[in-house]
Formats: sequence, structure tokens, C-alpha cells
Amino acid sequence: MTVPDAIVLRGLRKTFGETVAVRDLDLVVPEGALYGVIGPNGAGKTTTIRMILSILLPDRGALSVLGRPSALEAKDRIGYLPEERGLYKRMRVGQFLAYMARLKSADGPGLQARIRQWLERIDLGGVEHKRCEELSKGMQQKVQFLAAIVHRPALLVLDEPFAGLDPVNQRLLRELVTEEHRRGVTVLFSTHIMAHAEQLCDHVVMIHRGEKVLDDRLSDIRARHVPRTVVFEPLDPAAAAEALARVPGVARVSVTGRTWELALAPDAAPASVIQRVAAAIPPARVELTRPSLEDVFFRIVSARPAEHGGAAPGAGAAGGSGAGPAEARP
Amino acid sequence: MKKVLRVAKREFVATAGTKAFILGILVLPLVIGVLMLVIPRMAMEDPPAIEGRVAVIDPTGRVAAGLSAYLEPARIAQRRRQAFERMQEAMPPALRTASGMGGRGGSAGRKVAGSLAGAVPRLEIVTIGAGIGVEQAKQALTAAAPQERPARPDLALVVVHQDAVQRQPGADRFGTYDLFVRAKLDDRVIEEIQDGMRDSIVGARLSQAGLDRTQIEALTTVGRVKSRTVTAQGEGRTNEVLNRLIPMALMALLLMSVLTSGQYLLTTTVEEKTNRVVEVLLSAVSPMELMAGKILGQFAVGLLMLALYLGLGLIALLTFASLGLLDPALILFLAVFYLLAYFSLGAFMAAIGSAVNEMREAQGLMMPVMFVVMIPWLLWLPISRDPNSLLAVALTFVPPLGSFVIMLRLASSTPPPLWQTLLAIAAGAAGVWASLWFAARVFRIGLLMYGKPPSLATLVRWARSG
Repeated sequence: MTVPDAIVLRGLRKTFGETVAVRDLDLVVPEGALYGVIGPNGAGKTTTIRMILSILLPDRGALSVLGRPSALEAKDRIGYLPEERGLYKRMRVGQFLAYMARLKSADGPGLQARIRQWLERIDLGGVEHKRCEELSKGMQQKVQFLAAIVHRPALLVLDEPFAGLDPVNQRLLRELVTEEHRRGVTVLFSTHIMAHAEQLCDHVVMIHRGEKVLDDRLSDIRARHVPRTVVFEPLDPAAAAEALARVPGVARVSVTGRTWELALAPDAAPASVIQRVAAAIPPARVELTRPSLEDVFFRIVSARPAEHGGAAPGAGAAGGSGAGPAEARP
Repeated sequence: MKKVLRVAKREFVATAGTKAFILGILVLPLVIGVLMLVIPRMAMEDPPAIEGRVAVIDPTGRVAAGLSAYLEPARIAQRRRQAFERMQEAMPPALRTASGMGGRGGSAGRKVAGSLAGAVPRLEIVTIGAGIGVEQAKQALTAAAPQERPARPDLALVVVHQDAVQRQPGADRFGTYDLFVRAKLDDRVIEEIQDGMRDSIVGARLSQAGLDRTQIEALTTVGRVKSRTVTAQGEGRTNEVLNRLIPMALMALLLMSVLTSGQYLLTTTVEEKTNRVVEVLLSAVSPMELMAGKILGQFAVGLLMLALYLGLGLIALLTFASLGLLDPALILFLAVFYLLAYFSLGAFMAAIGSAVNEMREAQGLMMPVMFVVMIPWLLWLPISRDPNSLLAVALTFVPPLGSFVIMLRLASSTPPPLWQTLLAIAAGAAGVWASLWFAARVFRIGLLMYGKPPSLATLVRWARSG
């Protein structure tokens, strides 16, 4: 049985003035999947998400969200946590959440009780009657996340959901997203911190300068990028790294403080090299490491010619004076 | 539509449910009420008693005595008392009671009568002989009061012309007099001297001509009567003040409601954008639903203000027994033209709010709105004096200005023909359509635009490209 698609993008393109923010993007997110959209700042992630949500209209291309040609027709089944998020400062927390739920047609007698349960779940029991402006920034972010899920959506779109959260709340948010995913919700989230995507998603889409450069399952990416680096820490801090450079199968040794990174020669078998290295210098630690998504990203980006005029990694998006909206900047 | 109404409800509650709004809406009638009670009382405070000398050079020898008699304190007090009684006569009974001036028996009335007797100027008329020249006499007006009478300085110098009482042979006209006064002399004293001179010279001329002054005054005096307005509800005293005030009050009410609710719309839109709550909202409603909800919510806020102030106005008219002066159809027209004016200006203000990053940036873009709002104030007098002039008729069909102009005209003594009212409604509706079209396009683009504040030309470009 084929799983229906929650999101389908075909040849989506968006320009702001002279700048191409999203370039002919194709993407299919099946229902029930947990997709991570990664890429540096200004890559076009927010613009893509805004087009999925029909907050921005594409210049070209077609899209389908939850089986509808526009998210406007399926808004009530979508939960969205934008990167530029805020609250009505003077509104009370409970009122704000109820208002957002009702705007998404999730009314009914159980709404207030559900809001209270959710607030308890995110350690915010008792803030229901407080004004939003009385909450700390972290608490406000958790309330904003609740506003995205309080109406029990079928599709959850999160734009940089971990930005500004402390490690404890980052873990809580990961748990909440995982819970929603287990409930059957399709989750699409964007982040420029690739470790977050590695921890959470099962499928990764990389965007660079408005173009999709990778669209694959995380497990397949890992399978393709086999471990070719050994991290080594000598037992004797005075040991010389040059000795390992002479070990057969080691192509290169780079030293960062007490940690040495050994790049394996193309044909070398990792197990034999580790044995030989450990024999040469007694190790405190020796570990075969996988390339991180960040390594994969840089590997892909460095292999591509810089032919397009899109925004470079880390660069801001189009300015505010063009004919269309620029990516919002705080 | 359900979402639009939800947004509208929140907008209404978030605006009209705040303490600031409730206090604000009550402050205006309170201030007006307090002023109505306090100003008459303040006006009745004792004026400073002025003492001094008025020098007269009178070559005719027949004017100074009359002036001296006219300026006697007892006669001044009597004249003021008569003026007060005339003013009291013209005042609506309810206002007279409210301001504490209820007849001679009223506390304020008693106070006025008392103060009139005690605080009148005490002027001593001094006749200067012909031996002293005018220039020399004038010097006393700039000098300090002499030591022997420090509290009674020289206040004025009157120089009566030689032919003031008797014409020169062959001349058509009589001569008059010159009046020189000390700097910063109270204008009421100057008026008293002028009136006294007129009275004295006229008396002298009549006497010279051998005429009986009492008889002439009797022959030339016709008492001024108050007109009585006849309406379907009966007959009542015509109230010229209210007749003139009602058109202006209706227009002011319309302007105030439109401007206040439009300003709230601008503020809340800017706030939503500044708070970054707007994108959260856009995940639940479309930009059009958001804009429509906000406009409707603030429409209700303005309607609430309109109803409240109109209700207070009607109560005031009822108190003055002048309810018949307000045609009930005017209230209906007020609601219709409020709707048209608000939707035109409000939509524009919502568009401005969506385009800017903070309130300060909105000021420049608000110029067209302010311009539209200023014109009815500037043209109030010419339009109310001639409600069917070419200017008034032409402006009636220029939205959103027409809504304000036609309210002035409808409430005037010569209301416009029905076709003009209907055409004004049609023009207003077209204005609303254009304004909503413009606002919808700007709103969608502006909401997510941060950074450089746009100019009016940029908004027009967005509207055309949107």
C-alpha cells in the first residue's frame, strides 16, 4: 500500500528582486514522515516553508499540502511554529492558546481542559492566567509551540524550533516532537544546526543557495558516507603524532589539542588500521567516527561550482526594498 | 467568515475591554460636563477693580459732564446687571440651572450681582484746560502715578474735536474725538469710555438741536423678540446656538469615531507586526481574513463610541427640551456615513500599519489621512453657511471626504436633495471598494516586510504588483 504524500512541491521558485531565494525546488514528504530541512542561514528554508504554508506565493511551480493545492484550504490541519514567532503580550496564556485553537476551528467543551493538560506537560502548570509578557523567553517559546499543536494537527511545520532554547528545553521539545510524530503527525522542521536534525529526523533535505542539494534518508546518508576517520587520544600526553603518520593505512594526521584525527587511506580496512595504531602508541581513546551532517554538507557544497547568484551560506536574504517580502529578520 | 468574526471579536475585546479605553471614552464627556459647570463660575470671578483718572480736553464745554455722569460706578453697575439679565434670558433653562445661575435667587446669580456692584471701575473725569497742550497731556499716560495718588494713575486722555457737537458751517458731518490710553489698559474700561463719549456727544448734539432725547429714544427703540420654532412636536423657543452646533457636532462625532477607531487599527496592526505574532496568525487565517477581522473589530469599537456619544448628546438635547431639533433620519445617515468613512480610511490605515515596523514610521504615511481629516474642519463654516454651494456639492461626491461634508449639509437648515445623498452613498461605496482593494494588496506584502520603512510610492507599487 502506498503512503499518500503530505507535501508535494514541484519546480517551486521564488525571487525577491534580483535574488533567487528558492530555485526550482522539488520535494515530496510522505504522510507520517519526520523530515528535517537543513542549510545555513539565508539558504531559502524559511521562504520554502512560507510557500508551503501559502504565506508567500511562489513565482512558479505547483504544490500540494495534505492533498490540497494550497495550504489555505488545509490550515486547520496544519500546525506552524514560525521562526519569527511572537505572542500577544497583554493576552493571558490560556486565552491566547484558546484563541489560536479556535482560529483553527478546534473549539469545544474540552478545549480549556486540554490546554491545562498541555501546560502541565511542558512544566508550565499555573501560568494559564498570567499575561504572556510575564513569562520568560523560554517559557514563551514553549507556549508558542503549544499554539502550534493545541488543535491536534495532521502536519506540523517547525521553522528553527530549537533557536533560543536552553539544553533542558531543547530535550523537552525533541520529546514533544517525537510524541507528535508517534501519534502519526507528519513533521517538517528546519534548522541550521545540523546536529539537531541528526538527533531527530529520519529524512534530511539540504538546501543551499535556494537549491536542494540532498534529499535522502538519514540512514542511507550514513551508509553512503562510510566512516573514514579515526579519533585518537594518546595515553602518554608527550607522545609524538608523527609516529602514527608512518602506520600503513593512515593517509594524514591532524592534531587538535590532545585529540588527533587520522584520515584513512582509500583502500585501508578500518579494523586493521585501528589495531596497528593502538600497537604503535598506547591509546587513552581510539574511535572510528562517522561524518556528521555538517561534514556531509561541506563535502557536497565544496564539490559544487559556485555558479549561482543565490545567497551564500550565512548571508542574509533579499533586502526589504524589493517587490516582494524579504525573509524576516529579527 | 467564522474566522473573520473570531479575529474581529478579539480585536474588539482587546481594544474596548482595556481600562485605558474605558477611561478614555469617559473622559471626554466628563471634561465637557466639567467645563460647562466650571467656566461660567470662573467667568464670574471678580474682575480687578480699576481705579484711575480720565483726562478730557473739551473745547465745546458740553461733553465732559455727560461722560462723567455715564461713568459713575453706580451706572456702570446698573448697565452690567442689565447685560447679565439679557444673557440669562438667552440661556437654556437647563444650562442655567446646571451652571448655578438659576435666576437672581441662584447662588451664582447672587454672586454675579454682588460682584457687579463692587468691582466696577472707578474712573475720575478730570477736565484739562485749553492751556495745556495735547502732547503735554499725553505724557501723563506714560509716567508713573504721582505720589499724592499712587493708586489712581492717568488711564486715558480724551480730546474732543471743536465741531463734535456743532458742525462747522458748510460741513456735512460732525467732528468726533481722539482717545489716547495707557499701555495694557483693560479693554472693558476702553469700551466704557467709548460708550460714554458716544452717549455724551449724542446728548449734547440733540440738546443743541433743541430735540427731546427721551422722546427720540422712545421713537427709535423696538424691542428685540425671540423667535419661536414651530415643529410637529409643538412650539418652542428657537435656539440659534444649537441650530448651528448640531451640524458641527454630528460631523465632529463622525470624524472622531472614524479617526479613533482607525488609529486603533493602525496601532494594533503595528503591534502585531512588532510582536512578531503576525506570522503565527497567518498560519491560521489568510491575510484577507486577518485584515477583514481587524477592520470589522475596530468598526465595532468606533460604533460603540458613536452610540455612546450620540446617546449622551440626545440626553443633553432632551434636557434642554430641544430633542425636536434633531431629525431621527440624521442618526441613520450618521451610521451609514460612519460605515463608509471608516471603511475607506480604516482600510488605508490598516495597510499603513502592515507596511511599517513601528508607529514612528507610520506618521509620514498618515499625511493623506490627516489631510482628509483636516478639510472638513477648514470648510465647516463656509459649508454650514451655504450648504448648497458649488464647493459643498462637489465635495459631497469625493470619497471619503463626502461622508463628512454631507453630514454637515444634511444637518443644515437647507438639506441637500435625496439624489445627492444617494449619490454620495454610491460614491462612498466606490471609495470603500478602492480603499479595500489597495489595502488588501499592501497588507499581504507589508505584513512580512521588515527593514527599510516604505514610502507612499512603494505602497502604490506593492498594490499594483500585488
